[in-house]
Amino acid sequence: MDAAEPARLWRWRAGSVAVLAAAWVGATASGLVPSVFLPSPGDLWDAAADMVTEGYKDRPLLDHIGLSLLRVFTGFGAGALLGTALGLLMGWRGWIDALFAPFIEFLRPLPQLAYLLLLIIWLGIGEAPKIVLLFLAALPVAAVAARDGVRRTSLARLAAARTLGASEWQLFRHVVLPSALPDILIGARLALGIVYGTLIAAEIIAGSTGLGWMIVDAGRYLRSDQVFVGVLIIGLMGVALDRLLVLAERRIVHWAGR
Amino acid sequence: MTHPIPRRVALGAALGLGALALARPHVARAAAPPINIGFFTETKPTIIVKAQGLLEKATGQTVNWTEYGSGAEINAAIVAGGADIGFGSGSSPVAAAISQNLPVWLVGLVDNIGPAEELTVRTAANIHTVADLKGHKIATPFGSTSHFRLLGLLKLNGLTQRDVTVIDLRGDAIVAAWTRGDIDGAYIWAPAKSKLLASGGSVFRTWDKLDAAGYVIADTIVARAGFAEQQPQAVVALLRVYGQALDFYRSKPEEAVQVVAKATGVSAEVAAADLKEYDFISLHDQLTPEWLGTPGKPGRFAEVLHRTAQFLAEQKSIKSAGPLSLYQKAIRTEFLKQALA
Repeated sequence: MDAAEPARLWRWRAGSVAVLAAAWVGATASGLVPSVFLPSPGDLWDAAADMVTEGYKDRPLLDHIGLSLLRVFTGFGAGALLGTALGLLMGWRGWIDALFAPFIEFLRPLPQLAYLLLLIIWLGIGEAPKIVLLFLAALPVAAVAARDGVRRTSLARLAAARTLGASEWQLFRHVVLPSALPDILIGARLALGIVYGTLIAAEIIAGSTGLGWMIVDAGRYLRSDQVFVGVLIIGLMGVALDRLLVLAERRIVHWAGR
Repeated sequence: MTHPIPRRVALGAALGLGALALARPHVARAAAPPINIGFFTETKPTIIVKAQGLLEKATGQTVNWTEYGSGAEINAAIVAGGADIGFGSGSSPVAAAISQNLPVWLVGLVDNIGPAEELTVRTAANIHTVADLKGHKIATPFGSTSHFRLLGLLKLNGLTQRDVTVIDLRGDAIVAAWTRGDIDGAYIWAPAKSKLLASGGSVFRTWDKLDAAGYVIADTIVARAGFAEQQPQAVVALLRVYGQALDFYRSKPEEAVQVVAKATGVSAEVAAADLKEYDFISLHDQLTPEWLGTPGKPGRFAEVLHRTAQFLAEQKSIKSAGPLSLYQKAIRTEFLKQALA
């Protein structure tokens, strides 16, 4: 059943995309929908071609994409690493959890736009506030996932390792970490999604670069065609990044779920 | 749990009554739908119209006042049908809207911005000529009239955005970045401008030369075309009460300043100083050839919009500018004429 299912499901996927595309072409070609609401495929192609060849507002499109990726990777990388380390400690020792939990719990649901201006006051208008914003988005998610992962370690296994004379470090390294790893990677995937979603908020801080800023700027002049191109790029890149993490997950924790 | 049915009935009745109570005002006012106005909290006579409920009194209709962050946002709201009137939209977002054939009519003017939006530079940065701006970071809200002027200034002086780093910041963020020393200049309006001037800034005068070179900027009153067709009397009433607010400011400036200060949350001194910066154009003057002209005889303001659109197209912000006649047709002076009749 598992082997046959994906092939059949692919048809459904292709079908849903094709139906949407047909509806798009139909709606725009008939002239029912003004181009401000929904640009036609031709408009979109022209806008994309222009952005690829001429760039967007004095900067090549690849610069915007590259800068956004750099911000995402730096913010996500630092936030996920530090958050995971913190989460492991929090799960391992109750008093560390008690020490940091209030801040993590507070930070996690906080909308980033709420403290945007504070970041500008504290960190200025360069790359620092943008990356810190993304870092702060990734950190609590990764920390909570790692903590919960550690807490899910089977007590039986811990007891077994202890009776075999494992030291605290050996317990952590050979029992706790492997059993928390699937949770950590799921946390990383979640964190990446959140960081990616925060990109626009980060780039409206004193922007003039990046995909997020580009979409906001094009929106100001109601350039729906450019907004759509930006949304497509940012969306496809998001899917690609997520797939990369799934691949990594399968390699690192190939045993998960079995 | 023991009496599930009565409770459900009671809940249903309560919901029904609630819905009825909510629906009643709409039923009663069905004949006169609400007027949705997009506005900015600014120290201008426009705010008097809101603060004193002049339009509500004049029309007897419900008026929904919604604050927007920029003229561009009002454009989007007008396109979506969420706003009927843009009360104070800047000339560059309006030129962008008309160029893209959005259903927007310019029905009146608020002010000629003149010196009210101006470049402020850090006194310590020793910026005395436009060439001195090279290598500095200058902030302005992108898409605004100030942004349009700043880019015009650079272009007139043969500078590009590579020579001067132009940064996209809103007013409050400009003040924050200035306080930290991250920027050495900003093209902006009050209250941010006054705050910069108060903390180590000085005026770098550009407006008169830019005006002479065609980079005129103004604040306008726009209406959604469909709304103006269906409720022309509401547009006329708005212009008429705006005229009254302007007269009130002219004849009793002290009282008007108090109203403006209270409505915008600034001190009376600040409100008075801000109000003095703008050249508010009387309804009568708006109908002269210098500004909007009269029905069938378009005034020079259409050229301002046309030139603004051409500049925006050069900047690739909009796809292309239309012919002058497009802007002349979008300026609808019949409402002003009726308001003065």
